[in-house]
Amino acid sequence: MLGYVVHRLVAAIPTLLGVAILTFLLMRAVPGDVVTSLVGLEANVSPERMAELRRLFGLDLPLHVQFGQWLGAVLQGDFGSSLRTGREVSQDLALRFPVTLQLTLMSLLTALLVAVPLGVLAAIRRGGLVDYFASLFAILGLSVPGFFLALLLILLFALALGWLPPAGFVPFTENPGENLRHMILPALSLGLILAGAVTRILRSSMLEVLSRDYIRTARAKGLSERVVIFRHALRNALIPVVTVIGIQFGSLLGGAVIIEQVFSLPGVGRFALEGINLRDYPVVQGTVLFVATAAVLVNLLVDLLYSLIDPRIRYE
Amino acid sequence: MKKLGVLLALTLGALAMGQKPGGILRAGMQTDPVGLDPHTTNATASRNVLENIYDTLVMLDSRGRIVPGLAQSWSVSPDGLTWTFRLRPGVTFHNGDPLKASDVAFSINRIKDPATKSPRANDFALVRSVTAPNDSTVVITLSQPFTPLLAKLAFSTNVIVSEKVARENGNDLNKAIIGTGPFRFVEYIPQTRLVVRKWDRYWQKDNQGRPLPYLDGITYTFYPDPAARTTALRAGAVDWIEYVPAADVRPLKADRNLTVAGGPSANFRALYFNTTREPYNNLKVRQAIAYAIDKKAIVDLALFGTGGIVARGTTIPSGAYAYTHSPYNTRDVAKARQLLAEAGFPNGFTMNLYVTSTYDFLRTPADVIRDNLAEVGIRVNIQAEDWNVYLPKALRSEFDVTLLGTSGQADPDDYLFNTFHPSSALNLSKYRNDRVTQLLEQGRRVASQAERQRIYTQVQELVLQDSPMVFLFHSAQYEAMHRRVQGFLHFPNTSYLAFRYTWLQ
Repeated sequence: MLGYVVHRLVAAIPTLLGVAILTFLLMRAVPGDVVTSLVGLEANVSPERMAELRRLFGLDLPLHVQFGQWLGAVLQGDFGSSLRTGREVSQDLALRFPVTLQLTLMSLLTALLVAVPLGVLAAIRRGGLVDYFASLFAILGLSVPGFFLALLLILLFALALGWLPPAGFVPFTENPGENLRHMILPALSLGLILAGAVTRILRSSMLEVLSRDYIRTARAKGLSERVVIFRHALRNALIPVVTVIGIQFGSLLGGAVIIEQVFSLPGVGRFALEGINLRDYPVVQGTVLFVATAAVLVNLLVDLLYSLIDPRIRYE
Repeated sequence: MKKLGVLLALTLGALAMGQKPGGILRAGMQTDPVGLDPHTTNATASRNVLENIYDTLVMLDSRGRIVPGLAQSWSVSPDGLTWTFRLRPGVTFHNGDPLKASDVAFSINRIKDPATKSPRANDFALVRSVTAPNDSTVVITLSQPFTPLLAKLAFSTNVIVSEKVARENGNDLNKAIIGTGPFRFVEYIPQTRLVVRKWDRYWQKDNQGRPLPYLDGITYTFYPDPAARTTALRAGAVDWIEYVPAADVRPLKADRNLTVAGGPSANFRALYFNTTREPYNNLKVRQAIAYAIDKKAIVDLALFGTGGIVARGTTIPSGAYAYTHSPYNTRDVAKARQLLAEAGFPNGFTMNLYVTSTYDFLRTPADVIRDNLAEVGIRVNIQAEDWNVYLPKALRSEFDVTLLGTSGQADPDDYLFNTFHPSSALNLSKYRNDRVTQLLEQGRRVASQAERQRIYTQVQELVLQDSPMVFLFHSAQYEAMHRRVQGFLHFPNTSYLAFRYTWLQ
């Protein structure tokens, strides 16, 4: 098990290096740079002065030198500073990652709380009213964009009822209650959409498991329906759900950019987006590398989780 | 007009009674400041916050006039080369240090110093030296007379910083935000909030001698999504918001709990021809297009009627220097057709219009222009790209025709020299008329307003005749607030200096 984990971690190094190189090259392939965004239109700066500013930012150095300098610093734990705000990238990531992590966890929790009961009930009462409702819910979840649901939720809970703030953020350490109040709508917007897909997957996976021979055996030896459903069927039906949740976990960690934008949350996605708009290379490179690392770790965790749910799955 | 003046005086008189000190204003901003060092950023988002933490030597009031700031008076030598500023006594930085003339000299030199990487270094290109003969006198020596100097000094990020604080922090003022302004910096949590509190020893008083500012502080929060911003105001999460989308102005005005301030701002938006390319190097083609475009339709359709006002002259939106008798103020399709025929294009041609998709006000007018020009046989082919892709190309004049515009401040030089002088990096239409060039240089040297007015009127007449650009409209900007927010005035240069006089009821 430990050998497996170490092996996976070592295997991740080329992946991360590839991500770093790709991000670096893509950012430089995109037209415009930090000097263009710094100067903008209003200051009437001559081309000579623009060239001098590029030199001062070190943008005139050959690409491999720039990349080498950046990677060398990263390997020593220094993600560099934003070219525009002068703030350390690692300091900003430390502020934003908890927000994204909290949003991710709350969204996944919402999705599971809704999807597991709904998916199980739909499978047991196949063709019944609950099943129809679950199908409708799943189709809505799969087809309604998250930002649209977000706007509807804001209209209802913030404007019409006034129960929750429409947008904004309060750090958890400062005021946990306010923090949760601000996170409910974003988590619902992401979670309910995700719940649609999970409900559908769980329902079909349950149906498949329920038709297996060992379920018939379990029923035949007189186990209560509750034990049959939860101990025997659900546990086996959860494997595809874990896969989906794992993939979503990884991608949500990269920041749900649109939801963060709509709810003005200071997450990783908005940080990266601002960095991209300002062509702030250290910010984008640092964020992408950090998120890629987090995604690799989550993938590993999910794989380990499989063996926890199904002991027949072993890693050597 | 007189009636209006009386009404205004009455209103102001009534308002002067009600000022109430205290309270925290919750302001909903569009985006985070891009850095907090005032000298290394050109971003409006940084300026909007920093301008009330720092002060400038001279300031602009809500009508765009230069008024004293940290300098209480100034004089110019007869040759126009030496400017002497007397500093206001008793001004202190937020760390308690008194303001000294050496801080002013340090600040201007810091902006000029290439190592600072200031985007505004060019503002002081003609400054030969800045000295502080004593603690309350600053002398600026120029290499040639430059009347717009005051307007440059009034620009809201050309602020005075503390020499001592800069030295103590290795010249990095992103983390040491210490000014002399009405509000002192308290904290900044990126994309969450920025907090300022009243500076108790601020120098400015209201007209009844009471200390300013009235507010105890301002908490800025950031809502990049325009709908989120208006919703936050309507839901009561904030008291005041900036950048109200043009489409929301009417609904917000209709809300009895809210007021909307704003209007045309100090800028222009125009159709730029690349006058070095075929067929736009042909004067008659340029004039024909200017006659064919319906400026009012652009404002009514593309800008919802609220997003701007029709440009009646050239680049200057209003004030003493604004020329308003453009020959293209009345659309004339017949004349446009005739000019095109004379230019050798009786059946028109295909025009490539390069625009940015990032800002609606620079994108949607293209559709109206396409319809307008179709009537004279010109087929418009619109190509839209993201701002970051668009801007570098536009700055290199890599277009046939484009839609763009810039903002000015207080001086006509900002609008005219930058756009029409051949040496200017913002002369994107590559316009060159030697008479105009000569007049623009003269306008910088002349001090008398009457004389400058004569010069700049002539410049604008010549430009309209040459038609290197079609001047379309001046964008409007709006701020919306809850009714209890009082005393806020919209500044045409979109500055929020009015927070100094704002109070909560």
